[in-house]
Amino acid sequence: MLIKSSKQVSRWRTPKRFPVSRNSGASPASRIEPGVSWPEPEGATRVQRFKVYRHDPESGKNPRIDTYAIDRDKCGPMLLDALIKIKNEIDPTLTFRRSCREGVCGSCAMNIDGTNWLACIRSLDEISEPSTVYPLNNMDVIKDLVGDQTHVLAQYQSITPWLRSKTPAPAGHERLQSPEERKRLDGDYECILCFCCTAGCPSHWWNGDRFLGPAILLQAHRWLVDSRDEATGERLDELEDPFKLYRCHTILNCTRTCPKGLNPGKKIAEIKLMIQQRRS
Amino acid sequence: MSDWKRHDPLNRNPATARSSALYRAIGLGSAKSGAHHWWVQRVTAVALVPLLVWLVASLLAHARGDHQVLALWLGQPAVAVTMAVLLMALFWHMKLGLRVIVEDYVHADRVKFAALIAVDLVCLALLAIGVFASLYLAFR
Ligand code: SF4
Ligand code: SF4
Ligand code: FES
Repeated sequence: MLIKSSKQVSRWRTPKRFPVSRNSGASPASRIEPGVSWPEPEGATRVQRFKVYRHDPESGKNPRIDTYAIDRDKCGPMLLDALIKIKNEIDPTLTFRRSCREGVCGSCAMNIDGTNWLACIRSLDEISEPSTVYPLNNMDVIKDLVGDQTHVLAQYQSITPWLRSKTPAPAGHERLQSPEERKRLDGDYECILCFCCTAGCPSHWWNGDRFLGPAILLQAHRWLVDSRDEATGERLDELEDPFKLYRCHTILNCTRTCPKGLNPGKKIAEIKLMIQQRRS
Repeated sequence: MSDWKRHDPLNRNPATARSSALYRAIGLGSAKSGAHHWWVQRVTAVALVPLLVWLVASLLAHARGDHQVLALWLGQPAVAVTMAVLLMALFWHMKLGLRVIVEDYVHADRVKFAALIAVDLVCLALLAIGVFASLYLAFR
C-alpha cells in the first residue's frame, strides 16, 4: 500500500512502522491535531516560542501542539525554567517531570528540537525559535511530556541491578575495591537512567518489547565490570540473546544523545566482546 | 502461535491481563545464543573485504575482453577456487544479514518463521548456483 497522505492509516501490520511520514501508522487516537496559540508577552524584546506536545489520554481527545511564548528577559536560563514559567504564569495544566533542576535525577528528559535531552541543562540560547518540545519517543504518554517508564524500569529490574556475590561481606568494613577496580566503573556509574538513549534507539522502537535498550545494557555492563560482583557468568548467560543484546546494531543514536556524555554504544560492544572472550 | 506468553508490551496487553511488568520484560527469557551469529557475521565481513577488492580489480582488468576471455579466466583453478570461497562468504554473510532484517521488522510469528526459512533456502540456492557455475567453467 502506498502512503499518499499523513492522514492515511497503513493497513500493513507486519512490517511494523518503517520510517514513514508523520502520523502514518499511528492509531486515529494518536494523530496530532492543531492546538492553541497562547497570547504572547507584551512589551517583550526577546520572545522565545515553544511548540509543546499536549496530550491527556483520559480526556479522549487527540494530542495537539500548543504554542507558548515567553519573555527571555524575565525567565531563567534553561528550558526547564521556561517550562516552569509557562506552568506558573500561562497554563497550569502543562505537565512534565522535574526534580533536581541540575541534570542528576533524570526526571526531565524530553525530546527538544528533535533530540532527547534534559530540559534542566538545555540552555535557551541553544534552542531554535520556535522550539519543539515533545515527550520521549517510545513511551506511552501518561500526560503531556510525561512518558510511562513502567516497561523500561521492568527491563532494568530484569538484569538484577544489584550485587550478586557468594563471598560473605567482610566483618567490620565494606567490600573493598582498589582504585583501578573502581576506575572500571567510570563511564557507567554516571548514568542517571533518564532514558534519553533508549528512547532514541531505533532498535528499541521496533523491538523494545524484547531488546533491553542502551540504558539497561549500560547498567548491565556496570555490574559485569564490578570487581565485587561474582555473577559475571550468569549475567552474560542472561544477556546472550538475539534480542536482549544483539538487537543493538551499533546505530549509536544512544551515544549521540546521552546528556551525561556517556557512551552506551561502546559499552554494548564491550559486552559482546566479553561474550566472545569466553568463547574463544 | 505461542499465545501463552507473548513479547508485546508495544501492542499492550488486553485490559483484562494482570501480568506484571517484570513478567512481560522477561518474556521467554534468554535464548543463550546469538554470539555465534555475531562472530560469523564479522568473520565473513573480514573475508569479503580482500575478496571483493580482488573481484572488482580482476573484472576491471578484463573489462575489454569478450565473454570467451572472461570464461577462460574464471575457469583457471586458482580463480575458480577463490570465486567459490567468495560466493560462500558472500551468501553466508547475506543470510545472516537478511535474518537480522527479518527479525527486526517482521513481528508476526508465522510470517517471521516462513520468512526466515525462505531467507535460508534462497541464500543456499544462490550459493549452489554460483558454485556450480564456477566448477562448470573450471571442468568444462
Ligand atoms: S548503538 Fe545499539 S543501543 Fe545504541 S542506538 Fe544504536 S542500536 Fe540502539
Ligand atoms: S546512558 Fe545517558 S542517556 Fe542513557 S539513561 Fe544513562 S544518562 Fe541517560
Ligand atoms: S530535573 Fe533532574 S535531570 Fe532535569
